[in-house]
Amino acid sequence: MAGAVRLTVLGVARGWRQFEGPWTHSLGSRSLALAAAPSSSASPWRLLGALCLQRPPLVSKLLTPLQEEMEALLQQIEIERSLYSDHELRALDEAQKLAKKKSDLYGEEEDEQNILLLQDLEDMWEQKFLQFKPGARITEADVKNDRTSLHRKLDRNLILLVREKLGDQDVWMLPQAEWQPGETLRRTAERTLATLSENNMEAKFLGNAPCGHYKFKFPQAMRKESSLGAKIFFFKALLLTGDFLEAGKKGHHVWVSKEELGDYLKPKYLAQVRRFLLDL
Amino acid sequence: MAAAALRAALRPPSRLLGARPTQTRDAHQRASLLSFWGLVPMRAEPLQKKKKVDPKKDQAAKERLKKRIRRLEKASQELVPIEDFITPVKFLNKARQRPPMELPFEENERRALLLKKWALYKQCEHEMERGAIASLLEAQQEALQELKLTAPELHAEATKRDPSLFPFERQGPDYTPPIANYQPPEGRYHDITKVYTQMEFKR
Repeated sequence: MAGAVRLTVLGVARGWRQFEGPWTHSLGSRSLALAAAPSSSASPWRLLGALCLQRPPLVSKLLTPLQEEMEALLQQIEIERSLYSDHELRALDEAQKLAKKKSDLYGEEEDEQNILLLQDLEDMWEQKFLQFKPGARITEADVKNDRTSLHRKLDRNLILLVREKLGDQDVWMLPQAEWQPGETLRRTAERTLATLSENNMEAKFLGNAPCGHYKFKFPQAMRKESSLGAKIFFFKALLLTGDFLEAGKKGHHVWVSKEELGDYLKPKYLAQVRRFLLDL
Repeated sequence: MAAAALRAALRPPSRLLGARPTQTRDAHQRASLLSFWGLVPMRAEPLQKKKKVDPKKDQAAKERLKKRIRRLEKASQELVPIEDFITPVKFLNKARQRPPMELPFEENERRALLLKKWALYKQCEHEMERGAIASLLEAQQEALQELKLTAPELHAEATKRDPSLFPFERQGPDYTPPIANYQPPEGRYHDITKVYTQMEFKR
């Protein structure tokens, strides 16, 4: 395994069990960017920019029973306090005429005028409505529980998680990249998005400031004077368009709602991440 | 002919060379070639025939306009009407009013209890939302604090305003998701909303 070989070159022992944080293998050999940081003197922390990419909901949530009752009540009150509309006036007129026609036996001339009764109109409208097939709120991806698909759980926020190898462990985490000198942390997150999706995704970043952070220290064997541990700063982005390419889907990513995060993330990481995710 | 003569007049009157080409062009239209200065009307004035009547008419028209402007200025400025506040006349018809309904006692009770439950539910929801926002802000503040400790210049950049963030527009969730390859029905869309513009009158 190329990853394991490179890590043994760095002199890493096998004790990854206590290690809860992610470790990017792409730029592992690069030392902390002290060269370009003019102010910090030998800061022992490595900086990583992570991306909290959310797919906003496409569909509204189902109403709770109390909300449904309230909705019905408000509709009732609105109808009670309103004036008659044209449609209702016409219905009342027609009802009157029908009653009159039944009571007088001679009034046959008025038959040809109102061929199209209101009831017929309403039936026509009902038929037209039944012919229209709206999109399904519960998609097949929901049924299959295919977590790599974007079309599941249309009423929730979905967050992107990726799986990366750390030595002999596979760790699920939010996509991240190491900070390079000369760029802001938000640029790092944007770079993560571009490399991950091969420029297929567009996202709207919500501001320059990070929404959360997670810091951890490397296990004893890994520590050097220059890198004591790492700090990850999360940046929120809303997915606008695009998705992973079909060829790239190899089971390394997953779109997950807030409850399902616990199935994937480590406890301390999860605790920090949950703080900046709205429950909806 | 007059136009050509005017053009000749506008060009700098080089008496020797420049004048010649224009003269030769109009030669068929003039009586004698020598009457150059007589032909070119250097100080053109309107014909003197209607001298006495015209200025009076013009002045009268101007006076009328000024009077109209003064009257408009005196009247208070007409503001753009807010269509929501004007009840259309057809809704004042008595036939449109519903007969007053007396609700049964149980219905009233049910409504009152439901409203109370709803008030409680909304209060809980509000508290939850406030808590969520507070936790969000706290997490962000802690992150910014960490960033400040680690890399002050990155912190400075993170606290800058992002001009591309606002105006922030997003379509909200609907009841059903969009249908793939949907063909909307054929037809044209005529927008008949009345658009008013406010006229400003300076006093």
